[in-house]
Amino acid sequence: MLEQLLIFTRGGLILWTCKELGKALKGSPIDTLIRSCLLEERSGEVSFNYEAYTLKWTFHNDLGLVFVAVYQRILHLLYVDDLLSMVKESFSEIYDPKRMSYDDFDETFRQLRMEAEARGMTNGNHKMEDDDSDKTNGKENTADNVVLDPSKLMKLRSKGVRGRGGVRKTDSIGNKSSKVAAAEPPKKATKKNRVWDDAAPKQVKLDFTDSVDENGNGNHDHVDIAAADQGESMMDKEEVFSSDDESEDDDDDELRSDEKKPEAKKKGWFSSVFQSITGKANLERTDLEPALKALKERLMTKNVAEEIAEKLCESVEASLEGKKLASFTRISSTVQGAMEDALIRILTPRRSIDIMRDVHAAKEQRRPYVVVFVGVNGVGKSTNLAKVAYWLQQHKVSVMMAACDTFRSGAVEQLRTHARRLQIPIFEKGYEKDPAVVAKEAIQEATRNGSDVVLVDTAGRMQDNEPLMRALSKLINLNKPDLVLFVGEALVGNDAVDQLSKFNQKLSDLSNSGTTRLIDGILLTKFDTIDDKVGAALSMVYISGAPVMFVGCGQSYTDLKKLNVKAIVKTLLK
Amino acid sequence: MEKNLEDLKIVAEQWLNQGTEFVQQIPPNQLYAAVGVLLFTILFFFSIRLFRRTKSNTVLLSGLSGSGKTVLFYRLRDGSSHQGSVTSMEPNEGTFVLHTENTQKTKPVHLVDVPGHSRLRSKLEEYLPRAAAIVFIVDALEFLPNCRAASEYLYDILTNASVVKNKIPVLLCCNKTDKITAHTKEFIRKQMEKEIEKLRVSRSAVSTADIANDFTLGIEGEVFSFSHCLNKVTVAEASGLTGQTEQVQEFIREYVKP
Repeated sequence: MLEQLLIFTRGGLILWTCKELGKALKGSPIDTLIRSCLLEERSGEVSFNYEAYTLKWTFHNDLGLVFVAVYQRILHLLYVDDLLSMVKESFSEIYDPKRMSYDDFDETFRQLRMEAEARGMTNGNHKMEDDDSDKTNGKENTADNVVLDPSKLMKLRSKGVRGRGGVRKTDSIGNKSSKVAAAEPPKKATKKNRVWDDAAPKQVKLDFTDSVDENGNGNHDHVDIAAADQGESMMDKEEVFSSDDESEDDDDDELRSDEKKPEAKKKGWFSSVFQSITGKANLERTDLEPALKALKERLMTKNVAEEIAEKLCESVEASLEGKKLASFTRISSTVQGAMEDALIRILTPRRSIDIMRDVHAAKEQRRPYVVVFVGVNGVGKSTNLAKVAYWLQQHKVSVMMAACDTFRSGAVEQLRTHARRLQIPIFEKGYEKDPAVVAKEAIQEATRNGSDVVLVDTAGRMQDNEPLMRALSKLINLNKPDLVLFVGEALVGNDAVDQLSKFNQKLSDLSNSGTTRLIDGILLTKFDTIDDKVGAALSMVYISGAPVMFVGCGQSYTDLKKLNVKAIVKTLLK
Repeated sequence: MEKNLEDLKIVAEQWLNQGTEFVQQIPPNQLYAAVGVLLFTILFFFSIRLFRRTKSNTVLLSGLSGSGKTVLFYRLRDGSSHQGSVTSMEPNEGTFVLHTENTQKTKPVHLVDVPGHSRLRSKLEEYLPRAAAIVFIVDALEFLPNCRAASEYLYDILTNASVVKNKIPVLLCCNKTDKITAHTKEFIRKQMEKEIEKLRVSRSAVSTADIANDFTLGIEGEVFSFSHCLNKVTVAEASGLTGQTEQVQEFIREYVKP
């Protein structure tokens, strides 16, 4: 049974709910849907599951309406899609932005629902009947003639179904038109122009220019201590992105991108110019397709995983379909604008990525702030752990490293070298120990000697390696770190999706406690090697929902930066 | 199609010729007068626009997701919260006379309800430059779990360049006070001051030149209090659900004169 059907505006005002169904929903499925699906550019998906419910939705973009249906997940209601589109059609006819209550829609909805339910029933039944009748036919046939022609059978069946469908359709149209006549005439919604430019958040820039003299406290007569002081970490410096180096003028960019995009030029030059001046009536799927296809290809050349590019384009399509094209704009530029907005929204961190703030908060509670670095082999976990340690150290935070890579030979020694160069205490227990226990002891040790931050290095593992993933899950569940940082290289293409989703999947599957810890943040390494192929950042953020907290962009301790969202988006759409 | 284009070109040229001939026929005096009138009207409209911009009537409703901005918006506009609301995906905007006021005499207010979801925060920055006042709504019922996030958001607003430069007044509005377990506004103010003090320490002590926040809050060496802000920060109570919005209306009318 349908649990609830809501109609609300994109602004968030509920216009109509089905009072008849009127059951109180457990939890807040609608809000969760909006927050974790529609606002995450996942509106291209078919359905969304929330606890025991399944939600389906459809948009009316021109009027800015959202229609959501909620039903029990165990029931596979086939008619919901039909019902939603029918409700959308009839509601958009009576919708008026000034009107707030639509009590008279109850009756219409009741009829629509009955119709849809009946249709769903007959669809199911007919299929069975068809099968039955065909079977009997077949039997008779075999009785009469020995050879049975399967193609004929297929034709017969499809014909039967089509015939029934046609009749039903005309029926429903008749019903609807009579209903529509009763409803008041439609009124056009006033449409606001969207402002795309400057929608991006200001770029975050950290410049913690505390000149820390490391030589001062480094009295050891070791040679490489001096080498450790390599100036301030780039986390604190002015952001000049390798990808942003060739920052061309916007106009230039646009020009070029326009040239690239093949527009649908079916209607001739004059009509297209006319259309661009007057504004097109409503955007349709076919209008958007060429522009979206070009955009998808461009994203893929920038190393965005194919799956992600596909989903993004679907989502943008869903948000534009049925919308009015403003005058003096072209479809390609509208699509581009919508995509830019979507990208900025995705890359803007959902939660605060102010680690310093969290470190101070943990300090107040007199416990160390624990960061676990996870990732596949050879992406640079230890190197970037050292960079983060260096950055934290510069801000007068006492750091401790924990060598929990008890798997790969030489890993502990590697970390020890970093620790010695940075003058950071290291906690190690050699090899062949359970990493979870080592981490636990390290945290206890840090609590004892008053370290603020514990950076836990783990062994690199492929996402499919079951025993190692189990060990990682144990480590995380046992120690409850404040931050699980996924280290991924920017070179990765389609595999990014697989890595992150499998890591998340394994972490949630293998956790035994009630609260599952997933990946909280991403550290993107080898960013200096990829030129303009910055797509991995987008893929990773999209698939995990976690923000990019650091970007590793070089070999020295100072080469750690923050992600510049604007620059990334610009590079992606270039 | 090529042929069409050629035809069009010819037609356009003919029109152009006719146009120039027509212009040459007009006596120069008339032409000057026409140009003069045109310039004058353009200037006139331009100045009207400038004049309008100086007296902004935009009031922003901001706050975390789920604090009750949309309900308050419709409460102020229509005097009813209709059938409730869900998480907003787009800002609600409207220019209207507040529900309880006389329609004829008063100046309408441009009220904008900016979604609180962190992915949509960037929308706020579009509106801030033309805001006359900001209402920051806090959920008084579920205050403590959201205190830190709310304080961070408020800190970002208070340190925003246009807020500091234009000295945009901020009303800290404690919503949902109709519920018995809601916190008092004094408690909320103190907690948020404490939280902002911590933020100030963590952001300014560590980062001497953090560009994201161009301005530092409060007075150096003193514990932060809202009275230290250059712009006026006041605290009020409201309940969007039951319609106790008098203090918010007073605040709006203080800065958007009727």
